[in-house]
Amino acid sequence: MASRRAVITGIGVLSPLGLDAATTWSAINSGQSGIRPLTSFDVSQYSVRIGGELPGFDPRKSLAGKEERKAIKMMARPIIIGVAGANAAMADAGIKKGQLDPERFGVEFGSSLIPTDLDDLIAASVIAYHGTPGEVDFAKWGKEGIPTIQPLWMLKYLPNMVACHTSIFHDARGPNNSITQTDVAGLLAIGEAYRILQRDKADFFLTGAGDAKLNVLSLGRQCLFADLSHRSDSPEKACRPFDKDRDGTVISEGAGIFALEELEHAKRRGAKIYGELVGFGSAFDRDFTGDGIVRAIIAAMKQANVTVADIDHVNAHGQSTVKGDAWEARAIAKVFAKTTPVFAGKSYIGSLSAAAAPVEMTMSLFALRDGKLPPTLNYETPDPECPINVLREPHTVTKPHVLKLSMTELGQVGAAVIRRWDG
Amino acid sequence: MGRLIDMHARRVVITGMGCITPLGHSVATLFRAACEGKSGVGPIRQFDARAFPTSFAAEVKEFDLSQHIPNAERFNECGVNTRFGLAAARQALTDAGLLDNAKVNHDRFGIYLGSGEGTHDFSNLISSIAIANRPEKRALDTSAFYASSMARFHLARERELEMHTPPAHLAREFDLRGPNYNCLTACAASSQAIGEATEMIRFGDADLMLSGGSHSMIHPMGVTGFNLLTALSTRNDAPVKASRPFDLNRNGFVLGEGSGMVVLEELQHAKKRGATIYAEVSGYGTTGDAFRVTDSHEDGRGAIASIKMALNDSGLRPTDIGYINAHGTSTQVNDRVETLAMKHVFGDHAYKVPISATKSLMGHLIAAAGVSGVLMSIMTLRNGVAHPTINYETPDPECDLDYVPNTAREIKADHAVTNAFGFGGQNISLVLSKLHE
Repeated sequence: MASRRAVITGIGVLSPLGLDAATTWSAINSGQSGIRPLTSFDVSQYSVRIGGELPGFDPRKSLAGKEERKAIKMMARPIIIGVAGANAAMADAGIKKGQLDPERFGVEFGSSLIPTDLDDLIAASVIAYHGTPGEVDFAKWGKEGIPTIQPLWMLKYLPNMVACHTSIFHDARGPNNSITQTDVAGLLAIGEAYRILQRDKADFFLTGAGDAKLNVLSLGRQCLFADLSHRSDSPEKACRPFDKDRDGTVISEGAGIFALEELEHAKRRGAKIYGELVGFGSAFDRDFTGDGIVRAIIAAMKQANVTVADIDHVNAHGQSTVKGDAWEARAIAKVFAKTTPVFAGKSYIGSLSAAAAPVEMTMSLFALRDGKLPPTLNYETPDPECPINVLREPHTVTKPHVLKLSMTELGQVGAAVIRRWDG
Repeated sequence: MGRLIDMHARRVVITGMGCITPLGHSVATLFRAACEGKSGVGPIRQFDARAFPTSFAAEVKEFDLSQHIPNAERFNECGVNTRFGLAAARQALTDAGLLDNAKVNHDRFGIYLGSGEGTHDFSNLISSIAIANRPEKRALDTSAFYASSMARFHLARERELEMHTPPAHLAREFDLRGPNYNCLTACAASSQAIGEATEMIRFGDADLMLSGGSHSMIHPMGVTGFNLLTALSTRNDAPVKASRPFDLNRNGFVLGEGSGMVVLEELQHAKKRGATIYAEVSGYGTTGDAFRVTDSHEDGRGAIASIKMALNDSGLRPTDIGYINAHGTSTQVNDRVETLAMKHVFGDHAYKVPISATKSLMGHLIAAAGVSGVLMSIMTLRNGVAHPTINYETPDPECDLDYVPNTAREIKADHAVTNAFGFGGQNISLVLSKLHE
């Protein structure tokens, strides 16, 4: 069972730096930031007015099939973006319709809370509101309000709908799960897909996540409770993982979806291989001591059968929050040498929440392929609270393994080891 | 090779159980009420639902977290998903002898829940939308919405809407430092959580997992959403009669709420510490319908595949199964398709297996429905009694199996199957077995 291996054979990325993986990677290599003033709605009164919006995203271009176009009205934006990412990963993997055994084709996605589109509820809200803020006339809502809402309203927001629509469009009848662990969800989903491939209950997965919180309701909620940067006057400088002057994270939207495939299956169909997933671990860091992060790292490295010396660089979570980065850096420092290079992809694109880890993982996959990794953006002043070697210069890749970290603000941690594919 | 005959496989057993449900706040109470055929359904009391198309549900009654958890006020701002979950989890851990047990390695003790979202602040959300509406512009004034909602939204309660909060609260409260997951695959969620948690122990990612689910959609948004989908029964004049799985006159499901939790443990680990072993999780099947967002596949394609996968995983033959706890939602489509799937997999044996539908008693606990079926299956195996499917009055020619109508029955069963199927096409089947060495 342990001998079944999993390789990445397709990549679908939509990010603030581009609507595909190549454009995103090329923008990162030229040092661009995807963080800009928000333009999709009026944010002038919001306490945070910047973020990473997808540039020029048109759902009807990404979901161009007849059935897909019909389904768009049933999908909130995070779902549309996730499905678009899945389509891109399938195309990149070179899979033709009917080529896969449907029952051996699974979907494992990460997700966070998907909010209602407020527009869907305007008519009902106006009917039910009787003039006192914070109060609603339930009788009016029930009798006259509900009939004004479109029948499939609730299905637009269920967190499992990215995986559901994807399974329908691509006829994936294998295991189908949606892990709702917000910022670490994408990586946990990839880890679970990996385990299922290992135990021989599937041969092919679409796995990763799509997420989007840059809408009227979610952004407001995030302003209320999330640890966000308030540098709305200098968007490109706002997301600065591990830098001494960091002041919070930046919200972005996008998708990162992989085709993850059992090695022999990939070889038989002559697939191009980006890299191999060789280790995975997860844990809960109850007291934010870093011990949970360390246990996840060690579990992933143990499964990969590698030591610290085999790791080219750590692809960090690097959320750019004061507490979060110090917590993560302390843990990295407990395991790795002070010289181990650390890269934080959020410095370019902000936090894609559930989709963050998969998108950031692609950066290391491409770096392993190209032999070169760009520096972490906005890392200007080292922070003694973060005693790690954050990359300030382009880095030449010298070793075949990368460790990817991801976590939530509540202590849920995932770690994965990927290996360059040398044929 | 099936689990039950593979000498080298790590096997997973259940060593603790707990629940908060509309029919009782412990597994023993729930099972007793279920065998008596009691209904937990009644008019909705949590908000004024009298004008809603559906005005009834199976609510959890007289729940007081302080009777379960010390200093319960710490969780005042949490959603009921976390609050029900804390109480059920503490029961399960206590039952397993693992509450504050320093002898087990808590680094190897994880959590995998299938829990729902917290409770939306309906009144503030809806009134803020109305306040921000600008009909002359045919749009919302987002600044006005922001000002109104931010002035009234409660910071902590908004944060608690996110689905990663329940497993984090439970992990912190009970010091469980292993893998920490939550999945939300609609009505399949807690069964899927138990299946994947089982696989984590089998693989070696953990030795112990707290698993199950917790959910309430008995709130204005939930009832609105399901009413719009015409998924709920609207039998407002006879709530107790509304949930009638497999009956000809079924017309939708009834919302329930609550939490169920189990402690999953690697067999040798459980034996070494002398734990009470309730059952073995001997088989797990997980498939996708890949058919429609709203309906399950007409021929039960995904359901058949998940039951078969679970049986294969256990190494059992269909005739070994002595009890089925059905998904049995009381919707026209589910009950017909589930019956079809059971006939397809079990053949003639399908007519001989007692099948009960827990939702007839306490409605549909949504994300927590699957674990309810697991708890009832275990109690059935242990007590030799299958609880009835109540409100079964008029046979449906398309649902012609033995649903244990209206009266509990003594049965002999060593192995049970329980199903959970989610909106969106996730199909989960679990095989539970009396422990055979």
